[in-house]
Amino acid sequence: MMPIWTKSGEKRAVTLLKVQDCHVLRYVSKEESGGKTAKLLVGGKNVSPFSKPESAHEIFKEAGVPRKQKVTTFNVTDDAIIKPGTPLYAAHFRPGQFVDVTAKTIGKGFQGVMKRWGFKGQPASHGQTKTHRRPGAISTNKAAKVYRGKKMPGKMGNIYRTSFGLKVWRINTKHDIIYVNGSVPGHTNCLVKVRDSKLPTYKDCNKNPPFPTFFADGDEELPEDLFDEEIFQFTDPSVTFA
Amino acid sequence: RVSSDGKPPKFQPPPKPVIIDRKTQKEERRFLSPEFIPPRGRTAPLKYYIERKDMIQRRKVLNIPEFYVGHVLAVTTADPFASDKSKRFVGICIQRGGKGLGATFVLRNVIEEQGVEICYELYSPRIQAIEVLKLEKRLDENLTYLRDALPEYSTFDVNMRPVPRMAHEEIPVNKLQVRMKPKPWSKRWERPKYNIKGIKFELPEHKMKAAQKWSQPWLEFDMLREYDTSKIEAKIRKELSEELEK
Repeated sequence: MMPIWTKSGEKRAVTLLKVQDCHVLRYVSKEESGGKTAKLLVGGKNVSPFSKPESAHEIFKEAGVPRKQKVTTFNVTDDAIIKPGTPLYAAHFRPGQFVDVTAKTIGKGFQGVMKRWGFKGQPASHGQTKTHRRPGAISTNKAAKVYRGKKMPGKMGNIYRTSFGLKVWRINTKHDIIYVNGSVPGHTNCLVKVRDSKLPTYKDCNKNPPFPTFFADGDEELPEDLFDEEIFQFTDPSVTFA
Repeated sequence: RVSSDGKPPKFQPPPKPVIIDRKTQKEERRFLSPEFIPPRGRTAPLKYYIERKDMIQRRKVLNIPEFYVGHVLAVTTADPFASDKSKRFVGICIQRGGKGLGATFVLRNVIEEQGVEICYELYSPRIQAIEVLKLEKRLDENLTYLRDALPEYSTFDVNMRPVPRMAHEEIPVNKLQVRMKPKPWSKRWERPKYNIKGIKFELPEHKMKAAQKWSQPWLEFDMLREYDTSKIEAKIRKELSEELEK
């Protein structure tokens, strides 16, 4: 995470996400998958092929791509279908866009009810016998049972969570890095899934994105850094208020 | 000269001249701002490389001088609410914290008998100028104890003239021992964990001895705490010198 400054001098915190060897692996049509839209399987981050059996390498061999650590699905409309084997770059996103980021949260292990669910516990003194961090009562007398989904101690973290509506401030095309506003679930260097935001407020925010994706061998030549309009670029002189 | 054998003495070639390369020696001692050195952690080095590129860009526009804790600085920032739209603050640098773009330094001064501390971010775009008024290092790297010292040690004239630097060589170390206000202090500065050498403790002997109870003499031998930055520093210095010359 890094600080960036707007043109008016306000500081924002930003997370850096690197797009590392992402390739489209397979196209699954609407009828095949049984869903409402077609799906594209995308894999990211190359990994050694020797730790898995040959049967697991079929998808990668069809696409002509080394074995990837993670394979995810993206629901895609019919006009945005990409040929399997095309690489995906950070320039697929543009500054000013809004994005949802999904990742596995940091695993905290088996945790008690105070840390996991934010219960208040019991006082430290005034006669409490061996009860300081316990849940207390778990149901009423009339119910005569404990409801399903009762908040109790258990394994916390290491589940998929999404942060919605994060603004993209800057894109580095040379190193394939996306600067995304705020924080993102997961530990440093963990695998993360970035999608266009599904929030209704940001439905019309995406003007002229590279559709279906940014092709590196195309005619378009992008500068090394793409900035949002409001961001303060370090090549400019210091901010002054007129 | 006659040797013992009666033969002429053996030809002794003159001693080879020892070349002291002053330039390389000077470069080794040059200052590297502490926020360039990446902390120990599991972050990918690419992130620090990209941050450094941004820091170098900013340094090309705004000249950030070499300064340590104990220097007296004057910082001009842009302020939308001031009449001149800019604000100048003079103070002694108490501490330098943070790494990368978020590096900060705290300036302290006593204005009209009220102690004021302002924490500035080195790379914030609001800063318009940083001038070093007085160059002197102190005995410690953290002067936070000035909050509990007598106010005369933290007062600096707002209209102070910059003291000219003598030669481009060592920065003088001020071995000033500061006198403190009566206890209680904000932190127990006599304890060995703060390792403060710049205070003249006027506490009784038994209290100073009692404070040594909290000493941790094994800490300096702890090998897991060692962080050797010499190679990283050399690489970063090379990178910096190349980029700043462009």
